[in-house]
Amino acid sequence: MQSPFNGVRSVALTAAVMLAAATAAYAHHGWSWTEEGFFELRGKITAIYIGNPHATLDVDAEGEVWRVDLAPPSRTIAAGFTEEVAKVGDEVTAIGHRSRDETEKWMKASRIIVNGKTYDVYPDRVPPA
Amino acid sequence: MDELLAGIEQLALVRALKASFVAYPIVNALHIMSIGALLTSVWLMDLRVLGAFRSLPYAAFTALLRRTAFAAFAGALVTGSLLFSVRASEYAAMPIFLTKMTLILLAGANFLVFMRRAKGGDEPADGTVTILAVLSLMLWTSVLFAGRFIGFLN
Repeated sequence: MQSPFNGVRSVALTAAVMLAAATAAYAHHGWSWTEEGFFELRGKITAIYIGNPHATLDVDAEGEVWRVDLAPPSRTIAAGFTEEVAKVGDEVTAIGHRSRDETEKWMKASRIIVNGKTYDVYPDRVPPA
Repeated sequence: MDELLAGIEQLALVRALKASFVAYPIVNALHIMSIGALLTSVWLMDLRVLGAFRSLPYAAFTALLRRTAFAAFAGALVTGSLLFSVRASEYAAMPIFLTKMTLILLAGANFLVFMRRAKGGDEPADGTVTILAVLSLMLWTSVLFAGRFIGFLN
């Protein structure tokens, strides 16, 4: 076989480029993808998911559907927010941090208020009283 | 299709996994373990085909790694299906998920072509096999990257 490592070299280069691309696009785990300041969203719930890897709400705010990430299910349920306390169509206020990408209708909430009740899914990250 | 996906989400096992504090991270960890073993064995096997580690006997080395790769792929398939099942409709609608499935099919097809070419277990002396090995490396690595992106685009 002649000079097989030309192939290997191009594979290594491809892998390096892909790794760089992946690093640049890193987002949506933890809080690094969100803005610093608090953000508040009000709207109607269009979908509720309480489960792994983390709970989410879809919220219609003035015709725009937002994705609201909550905590992992165990933590979300421990905060009192279960499938029983809210339903599609309920008004919700979500307080947390929105995506740094302004084109993205996406936020991660530390507090949500539904039907007059407050649920702090990240109690250590709620706005000061 | 939508009904099938919604039905998967309602299976008793899937509902338990969806809310579990312990099971889901374990399945997730086993998936990572499987894909780590799969990628490692694929890389070593393909590099051997491309002429690396020539001191190691070709037939025995590739046979061992092929068995490892099969076991790892089976593990990745089972754990991946479980991870998929908790939000089946959402994942199935994601372009990045469909990209990953397409890449797996291409990698599988590439493997079948390779096996037809490399009968007998002797050191391949054929340029086509070199191309297939390089394709295999690129496809399986792309599967890994596509899979990782699922977690950041949903």
